[in-house]
Amino acid sequence: MISYEFLTTQKIEETLNYFDKFSKVHILAGGTDLLVNLYKESPRLPDFDYLLDISNISELKIINLISNFIEIGPLVTHSRLIHEPLIKNNFPVLVEATYTIGSTQIRNRGTIGGNIVNASPAADLLPPLIALGAEVELTSRKGKRVSSLEKFLTGPYKTKLQANELLTKIKIPLLGDNYYTDFQKIGRRKALSIARLSLALVVKIDKEGIFQDTRVVPGSATPYPQSLPETEKAINGKSTFNIDVEEIGKITGKEMVSITGERWSTPYKKPTIAVLIKRALKKIIEEAKASD
Amino acid sequence: MSQERKAKKMDYDKVNKPIRRVDAYEKVTGKAKFGADLFFPNMLYAKVLRSRYPHARIVKINIEKALAYPGVKAIIRAEDMPNNEFGVIVQNQQVLALKQVLYIGDGIAVAAAETKEAAAKALELIEVEYEELPGIFDPEEAEKKDAPLIHSELENNQVVHHRLRKGDTEKGFAQAEVILEREFTTQFVEHGYIEPESLVAVPHEHNSLVTIYGSIQNPFSCRNAVASVLKVPLNKVRIIQNHMGGSFGGKDEVMFSMAARAALLALKTDRPVKMVNTRDESILESYKRHPYKMKYKVGATKEGKLVAMEIKCLADSGAYACQTPFVTWRSVVQATGPYEVPHVRTDTYGYYTNNVYTGAMRGYGSPQIIFAQESLMDELAEELKMTPRALRLKNIYHNNSITASGQKLDNHQVSLEEVIDKAVEASNYKEKYRGYSEPQSGDKKRGIGMAISFRGCSLGAEATDAAGAIVAIQRDGSILISCGLAENGEGLKTVFTQIAAEELGVGIKRINYMEVDTSVSPESGATVASRSTILGGNAVKNAACQLKEILAKIVAAEFKIRVDNLDFKNENIYEKNKEQKIISFDEAVNLANQKREFLSAFGWYKAPDISWDEETGQGRPYFTYVYGCQIAEVEVDTATGQIEVLKMTAAHDVGKAINPATLKGQIYGGVMMGLGYGIMEEVETAQGYIKNTNFDEYLIPTIKDMPEISPIIVENPDPHGPYGAKSIGEPTLELGAPAIANAVAQATGKRIRHLPLNLERVLLGHSLSKGGTKK
Repeated sequence: MISYEFLTTQKIEETLNYFDKFSKVHILAGGTDLLVNLYKESPRLPDFDYLLDISNISELKIINLISNFIEIGPLVTHSRLIHEPLIKNNFPVLVEATYTIGSTQIRNRGTIGGNIVNASPAADLLPPLIALGAEVELTSRKGKRVSSLEKFLTGPYKTKLQANELLTKIKIPLLGDNYYTDFQKIGRRKALSIARLSLALVVKIDKEGIFQDTRVVPGSATPYPQSLPETEKAINGKSTFNIDVEEIGKITGKEMVSITGERWSTPYKKPTIAVLIKRALKKIIEEAKASD
Repeated sequence: MSQERKAKKMDYDKVNKPIRRVDAYEKVTGKAKFGADLFFPNMLYAKVLRSRYPHARIVKINIEKALAYPGVKAIIRAEDMPNNEFGVIVQNQQVLALKQVLYIGDGIAVAAAETKEAAAKALELIEVEYEELPGIFDPEEAEKKDAPLIHSELENNQVVHHRLRKGDTEKGFAQAEVILEREFTTQFVEHGYIEPESLVAVPHEHNSLVTIYGSIQNPFSCRNAVASVLKVPLNKVRIIQNHMGGSFGGKDEVMFSMAARAALLALKTDRPVKMVNTRDESILESYKRHPYKMKYKVGATKEGKLVAMEIKCLADSGAYACQTPFVTWRSVVQATGPYEVPHVRTDTYGYYTNNVYTGAMRGYGSPQIIFAQESLMDELAEELKMTPRALRLKNIYHNNSITASGQKLDNHQVSLEEVIDKAVEASNYKEKYRGYSEPQSGDKKRGIGMAISFRGCSLGAEATDAAGAIVAIQRDGSILISCGLAENGEGLKTVFTQIAAEELGVGIKRINYMEVDTSVSPESGATVASRSTILGGNAVKNAACQLKEILAKIVAAEFKIRVDNLDFKNENIYEKNKEQKIISFDEAVNLANQKREFLSAFGWYKAPDISWDEETGQGRPYFTYVYGCQIAEVEVDTATGQIEVLKMTAAHDVGKAINPATLKGQIYGGVMMGLGYGIMEEVETAQGYIKNTNFDEYLIPTIKDMPEISPIIVENPDPHGPYGAKSIGEPTLELGAPAIANAVAQATGKRIRHLPLNLERVLLGHSLSKGGTKK
């Protein structure tokens, strides 16, 4: 049994005070990962003496449009993300991914910040957020720092979050015109399903039908979600009229294996990730052609 | 259907009607108490220390530190048990491991404490020294002559061997123009009842030595086990069943050992002791559905007439015999499927291993063999260039067919053709089968598949088969029913209430169905084998009829009417064919009371005779059978391996539906469990360790995975059933996996002979394993 003291707060300021006052503080937001880990006494849990419940900090529940980006408080639940017009209208790929998380109950509790900080290789929101170029704002006594989400992740269940830091914002730049997005996921069942494999694709298609600024981020494919530069490079500059999606699929499969090495799951994942990138590309090409 | 039967159907007032469940209100309002809801003053909580290894010698146990921990009141071990070994069929299951642990869920010690936390802490403080032993984790290894013994007192690792010999298979295969040989395997499956095991043992209550309240599927078998462990007479142990959060065959032996452990602790401390398993503890310790390895050889003529079958099935029994002898017996009887085969040779075996033990689970030896035999029929059809339907119609049982056991099916309507026709029509099978046989473009391909079965009702030659019921009319005309068969969520209380109400011509609300109490209810065997409606229903009907006769005699004498001219209906007693009532039911009860009549009756029903020759597998293994056909329509993503089941059509001949609504509930639930068995469920084991011990990793279907289900109730009343009713619980579960497998094979052109049909098998043809174990 894991024993700890329980703290609660309603202010960011007070949270930072707690960080000063106590050492070994672990954060509780939605609890959908943490409570399971506590129950399992998971080795993934850090050593902690205090559990600090931040779920009542209303400052961390905002969603705002600020000129060219949208900022999202880390305590925004998955259910809110799905229903928020600002998100729906600007980042449909994020909504698509959010829909596939757990169940209604889990989406009602789980938060975007928790999904990021938990940093599971299978986290459903990390591929679309990375592909969208999201940044995280981290606050400590010393002030605020901003990092790209992709660089913030350092390994499976590992981030650069310091012991005295709180994730206070997620900032997602608005996509310009002519951007298209898609999210694909394979699970073993239709709900309450951890991604067997997922993939987010964000891409610009210019007036001539040429792919630009391609971002491809798979989930459950690599030790932690990261973009696939080789695949992106292979897509950039190709035209919607003559891109060889079979070839792209092969490149993606190869690139994944170059990161992971041959693993027990490779015979399944290598051909299947090729399928996901092909499907995402085909869907986007169709959309692009339809909007012409 | 004859005119007479039609007329009778019209007459029913309470049965054959979709009335509301009698226990619905308390369940939907949360008033129903389950095992974990119970609280007794001064109650202790107990927790079990389980093994760290699948197979090890226990060198030393030290409980001193644990006993000294504040709040810990008692710790028991195997040597504290008056009799440490129990079992319904073979008494070799350890209540607690004595010298050796034989599987990863074996208990070693149980601590009772003032709080759950203290009990958990005590377990941490118990020091156990093990000597790890090599184990056997594959029944084929266990079968080998030089295999080490799992139970050292036995000569080999065989739990049981059943034989069935009909005709001469050598001659049969010589006549065959096509011969197929195939191997199939199935997996360990968890029952997945929503309520984990729970109970409270109370010492010295109401003059019993110990009373146990709990989530117990079969109170009488549990009582028998506890009494034998404690070495006390049966009348000293009292079991009272609580509401059940599901069981599906799963709350027998695992509850017996929990009950015996709690009982001993209760007696030792003279305080009530509560035990509730967590989900992990439940999945770790509880028995599973048997994995089977099956070798099938079938011979047929070019025209598709079956001439011979040779079948060998190996069941993994795990550490204990448990229900393996009877599970594999049902397999040996039904292994050919419902097909006329002149020459049959079937052998089913159970072997001990150091895997988690296996026992009863909805289906009971049928889901495995039906998966094999129905997959095989489709493969044979393909080989013969026939449709799966045509091959089946050519070989299925009809009235007066002779089964593999040599039983002539001459006492009931053999309705296979009818269930097939109805399912085929409702699913538009013929057109879809043709359509899906054409080349399909794109990754997503569709298929439609069928599976059929015959299933022996009730226990058959497994055990003595009889049931009793008490129907007692109270002074005010209200009625109590008590039966030894237990509500497990299937709707038994409602069905029995309907039967009593039908016979006595009274309303449902008049009747209260009592929980099973082993010191009051008549022992009726176990609530298993889809036997309650047919056995218990007859017993209730019999008791109600006796009461009706008593009341009729009194009313007849009082009003000078012939007894056989009375009609009990609408809460009144009428003279037949007259509008005006003679007397109300309440007044009749009052009259009977004034005349000092006894208004309680025992009903007893003995199942018809059966027979079985263990050497040849010939006889009449079951007194009647039910028939079913399920058709699955699927869409397979051939690029990712994902299966979407689009529609399931399920036609089942139940004899007579006492309650068509709860019956449909059985079909929906059975289809869901069949789907899970077919495409996702698997208890993953590695060298005896269980890797997925909770529902985050052990996947069962969610509501979103459920297809449209089209239930078709077929009614051919059986001469033995109450109002003609037979069985429905298990038949609904046994057909889904093969129907889906056949549909997937049509869609993909690839045959998968191993369950479940998970992503990897569908895409690659084989499964992938992460390796490693979870300790």
